[in-house]
Amino acid sequence: MAVETERGPAPPVAGVARSRAWIGVVALLAAVVLAARLLDPQRLPWLRNLVIVFGSLLVEAMPFIALGALVSAAIEVFVPASAFARIGRLPRAMQLPAAAFSGIAFPVCECGSVPVARRLVRKGLAPSAAVTFMLAAPIVNPVVIASTAVAYRGREAFWVMVLGRFGLGLLVAMVVGWVIGARRPEELLRARGDLEAHEVEEAEPRWRRFFGHLTGDIVFMARFLILGALLAAAIQTFVPQSIVDQVADLPILSLVAMMALAFLMSLCSESDAFVAASFVSFGPSSQLAFLVFGPMVDMKLAALYAGTYSRGFLRATVITVGATTLVATMWMQVIWG
Amino acid sequence: MSASVAETRWSPVRLAAAGVLGLWAGLFWFLLVTGRSSLYLSSRTRWLVPLGAAILTAAALGRLASARIARPSTPSRRESWTLGAIALPALLLLTLPPITLGTYSVDRRSSFAGSGIGATARAVTGDLDFVDVGAAQSFDAALAQLTARAGEPITLEGIVTEDAGLPADEMTLARYIVTCCVADATVARVRVVGVPPGAFAPDDWVRVQGRVYPVGREVLVAAETVEGIPVPDRPYLTP
Repeated sequence: MAVETERGPAPPVAGVARSRAWIGVVALLAAVVLAARLLDPQRLPWLRNLVIVFGSLLVEAMPFIALGALVSAAIEVFVPASAFARIGRLPRAMQLPAAAFSGIAFPVCECGSVPVARRLVRKGLAPSAAVTFMLAAPIVNPVVIASTAVAYRGREAFWVMVLGRFGLGLLVAMVVGWVIGARRPEELLRARGDLEAHEVEEAEPRWRRFFGHLTGDIVFMARFLILGALLAAAIQTFVPQSIVDQVADLPILSLVAMMALAFLMSLCSESDAFVAASFVSFGPSSQLAFLVFGPMVDMKLAALYAGTYSRGFLRATVITVGATTLVATMWMQVIWG
Repeated sequence: MSASVAETRWSPVRLAAAGVLGLWAGLFWFLLVTGRSSLYLSSRTRWLVPLGAAILTAAALGRLASARIARPSTPSRRESWTLGAIALPALLLLTLPPITLGTYSVDRRSSFAGSGIGATARAVTGDLDFVDVGAAQSFDAALAQLTARAGEPITLEGIVTEDAGLPADEMTLARYIVTCCVADATVARVRVVGVPPGAFAPDDWVRVQGRVYPVGREVLVAAETVEGIPVPDRPYLTP
């Protein structure tokens, strides 16, 4: 697995190129920081908005990434693979609900569940179960349920929103797990690039392996988080939220619009209920579509998924989550409006 | 054992990773010590800053402690650029001056004008503030409570927004309400009447003392005093 020691010293020419790359990186960092100071975001309103939203997404999500990486590293180093073999022996019809409900015990938002699910697959858990867990955890955990309850307290649709989010979150996660089916880990996970080299030799002491995995996971996830947060901040800066108001009364378009908005805004699942509740011109079913689709598929998650999983997985997840959420909320729209 | 320790050397790859994580840890400590976390997070989620600082510091120190290995290698070009890209946002947030959302975002975010502010679902009791205004602009029950208190004194601090259609002695005052992070900010707005013409420009922070009068979903404040103030320590309100 680790490879730093196997790779050995670089040949002289490659070594020079690598040194130049380092100099280039440091020079570019210095130039960007200097340019940002000279531009002064205070004078450029759009830049100010972009920087603040980008920064806030990172400051909020990075601790969750780090926490997810901590759990992931602990699973890798301290939990034997046999612990997951027991779950693997369950019939698939039971594996998926078990995985979905176990998300209740993992109170972090969606960024933290991605490295954990990846590690679970690598430790031998069935990919379908790991993905079901990954998608369900950010929606069904107690913190998110509580924040949804607070956001909708005193509203007629209180129970529809709280129970609907919980139930639909479980359902959509299990449907995606079912679609993933019996795919093997190598079909699901993308091979890691050069940064895999940060991982450590199995022969190293446990504590060194733990920190190797912790560092590797944070570095691996952080680059995709940064990309996703930048895209989400750009969208928030240049696309006004009011554009979706025009379709609030249209039956199916209102659902699609709210799902699209959830994708673009890339909010944390622990806060998105407050934003969803603010779209009072949309009915409960549209708000529910926002609350179920967003924590499973948004811009920063798409970047994280793209770095972690195969293209086929990404495609299957987006389509399945989108279709299941849409169909379920259409039925709810018929019933509750 | 001592022989193997003697044969180990510092790994540039591991040192670089530890350095980047250390930079991020430094950012979180900086936000914690300076109180600048309020520029990005609400009071509800500020606990994330010490959590991030602690884990990232542990990760950086752990990587540093395990950075001596038998046959180290230098980072590849791709690794160097990747680590640079990860370091960049932390470096930017550390070096930029403190900034807050201004008038540019007011029309781009949810507010009563478009959709309402669900984040402020609470009873309108006690001293009136912008969160009460947001609640009244979103919920009938809160609006009824605020209407029952029409004419009561109110003190609001917020930013002056651009509104070309208003008479010279009126302005729109706005305040962002943040639940978790600034990405979820919504806006509460009031129309202030009785403002000294030309005294304030968009993006100025002002304190208005006056009396509140809900008119439908719009909330008017008849100003008694209006004064410029510096940007508050906590520029965003939390419902």
